[in-house]
Amino acid sequence: MVIKLKPQGPRCKKFEFWTKVAKVTKPQGPKWQFTLNKLYKAKWPANWSDSKLKTFWETKKNKQSPSSSSSPSTSTQMQPENLLLHHTHHHHLSLGCPILDAALGGGIPSNSITELVSESGCGKTQLSLQLLFTAQLPHGLSGSSLYLYSEFPFPYRRFAQLLHSFRSSHPILFANYRDPCDHIFTRDCHTAHHLLDVLLQLESRLKHPKETRLDIKLIVIDSIAALFRSEFENNGADLKKRSALFFKISSVLKMYAKRFGIAVVITNQVVDLVDDSEGVSGVQVGNLEGMWTSGRRVCPALGLSWANCVNSRLFLSRREVIEGVENGLQGDDYGGFVNRRQRRELHVVFAPHLPYSSCEYVIRKEGVFGVDR
Amino acid sequence: MEVLRLPLSASQKGKLISAGYTSIASLSSVSPSHLALELKVSETEALEILKSVSDGSRLQSTSSSFTIVNGAQSAWDMLQEEETSVHITTSCADLDSILGGGISCKEVTEIGGVPGIGKTQLGIQLAVNVQIPYDYGGVGGKAIYIDTEGSFMVERALQIAEACSADMAEYSRLHHKGPQACEVKTMQPKDFLENIFYFRVCSYTEQIALTNYLDKFITEHKDVKVVIIDSITFHFRQDFDDMALRTRILSGMALNLMKLARKFGLAVVVLNQVTTKYADGQFHLALALGDSWSHSSTNRIILHWNGNERYAYIDKSPSLRSASAPYSVTPKGIRPSDSNNKRIKHV
Repeated sequence: MVIKLKPQGPRCKKFEFWTKVAKVTKPQGPKWQFTLNKLYKAKWPANWSDSKLKTFWETKKNKQSPSSSSSPSTSTQMQPENLLLHHTHHHHLSLGCPILDAALGGGIPSNSITELVSESGCGKTQLSLQLLFTAQLPHGLSGSSLYLYSEFPFPYRRFAQLLHSFRSSHPILFANYRDPCDHIFTRDCHTAHHLLDVLLQLESRLKHPKETRLDIKLIVIDSIAALFRSEFENNGADLKKRSALFFKISSVLKMYAKRFGIAVVITNQVVDLVDDSEGVSGVQVGNLEGMWTSGRRVCPALGLSWANCVNSRLFLSRREVIEGVENGLQGDDYGGFVNRRQRRELHVVFAPHLPYSSCEYVIRKEGVFGVDR
Repeated sequence: MEVLRLPLSASQKGKLISAGYTSIASLSSVSPSHLALELKVSETEALEILKSVSDGSRLQSTSSSFTIVNGAQSAWDMLQEEETSVHITTSCADLDSILGGGISCKEVTEIGGVPGIGKTQLGIQLAVNVQIPYDYGGVGGKAIYIDTEGSFMVERALQIAEACSADMAEYSRLHHKGPQACEVKTMQPKDFLENIFYFRVCSYTEQIALTNYLDKFITEHKDVKVVIIDSITFHFRQDFDDMALRTRILSGMALNLMKLARKFGLAVVVLNQVTTKYADGQFHLALALGDSWSHSSTNRIILHWNGNERYAYIDKSPSLRSASAPYSVTPKGIRPSDSNNKRIKHV
């Protein structure tokens, strides 16, 4: 078992320490080859005594700045975590509405990836914009947020509206001319590879936070489907490449989520399900036997392998319900009119901590709110 | 029996005796290479000597525990061991009955299914159930939980532990009426969490390192009775250009896990994802990591949807018949399916 490592490049960040060791011990040779045994059973050069190794290790440790001490060093990595401590550290990101929070068991969990699936016009972007603001609230994650968007253009008008209502609903927090926009970062992404590069560049930013700003505690990707749906063709080799990229992106996100306590929210589009017998796209994933929206049966884009990359999946649906027919019969106010209304619902498709549930919500000028019925 | 009576040449007997091997028992646990070194003979000759020793001992004694290779067992021993082997309950009676009492220790069990079917739930349930003390018919061990996907939620584990603790209290109330009830200590939900060793793994190198390290860790914590890997797949589905390397790493890891299971008598539960496979002109579902991986586990259970119910199906097992049984995921954890009619299907 031999892995070849290039000495530089962002993908080798993990091995930073080890490459340094290699430089000390093996000054010659164009390529570093580590056997896994060497790396992890820590078979050091035979002429190194234990004490020498120890002092080397200690100096290395001391040289590391305190902010990067959270990076995995083998000494801490190999110890199990205390779950009781874990419990108190775990935070939820509030959605800004107590009803929706209750439906999700306290909000969007940090340290994991949550996917929002819906057809266009159901409020994915609305909800994710809202999260950018609520992430700053002091009883929640109290961090800044990063918004990576691939569906253009950036919704400035809606953003300004939400900003206004958020400021007016939290006047004390944003007195002293503190601007919530100072803690929201946006970045456009054009392709899936671009997204991966942006994410890899992010690491140094997360490791060395600026003192004047809050730590990044929320990453929103809106939407993942747009990045993948154009770039890859529907043949075996491309699909394989595509799913390898899914897992790569997801693993980087999960690593950040774990190491820095970040909540990751990814939106995804849906595709129509034309025929049940058509391949495996009709296979049931999660609690809902079929996902229905606007009278059509849909399934999330990007298929089964992407479903393996997220921790929880939420589905936003809408359908038209007829209300006020009875009123129309009883009184003359409605005449023969039928009062139609959009009924929007949030479903938990799957989540490791939640059973299936659904909750009705409405989209208002001030944001997305749950309805208690 | 003495070395002198073995069918060996005089010079070989002389060498054996001068090296201090006078009885056959003293030769029973010597490796050929060691013997060759000590007698200063070739390795093939040493092998010949050991062969005749084993032949001789077989003639003399019928006792099966007397073997030449260290650690070898006869099938009879294994059968007896099998009968005393322990199982970890899944908290679902139907599932336990098709599994012959639960997830069996000393074996590697692979569990696969689509996202949201309850793989992680089953993993957490097992991590909790392994801690049920002997007095309550459990194993009374601890659990190692290796999380590669970040799906382990402490709040959920606490919920399941609370339900398990409540069930135990109920059980002791029913079975130990009177003063005995106080004697059996009930476990608090927090105790359950303390006994789960949780490792979060962020890359495949860490995963390999951890599996190598487990041996040492379990030697220090002998009461670990289950190792759960959720999931084995995640880090191996990204960026592997060299598929042969992946296969080698995976089979190395599988060997490691099997060794752990046998050495410490613990259950290894490996969760796997589902992927689509193209064969015979159409796509169908299969467990991830390919065909060579499918040899790596002793038992293989596939979780799937059947209408609105969750089913577990035994896909592969050397000792169990292939069968399927319904189960459900409730707020309390894995529980029997709520419909009354019995629906265990033997295929």
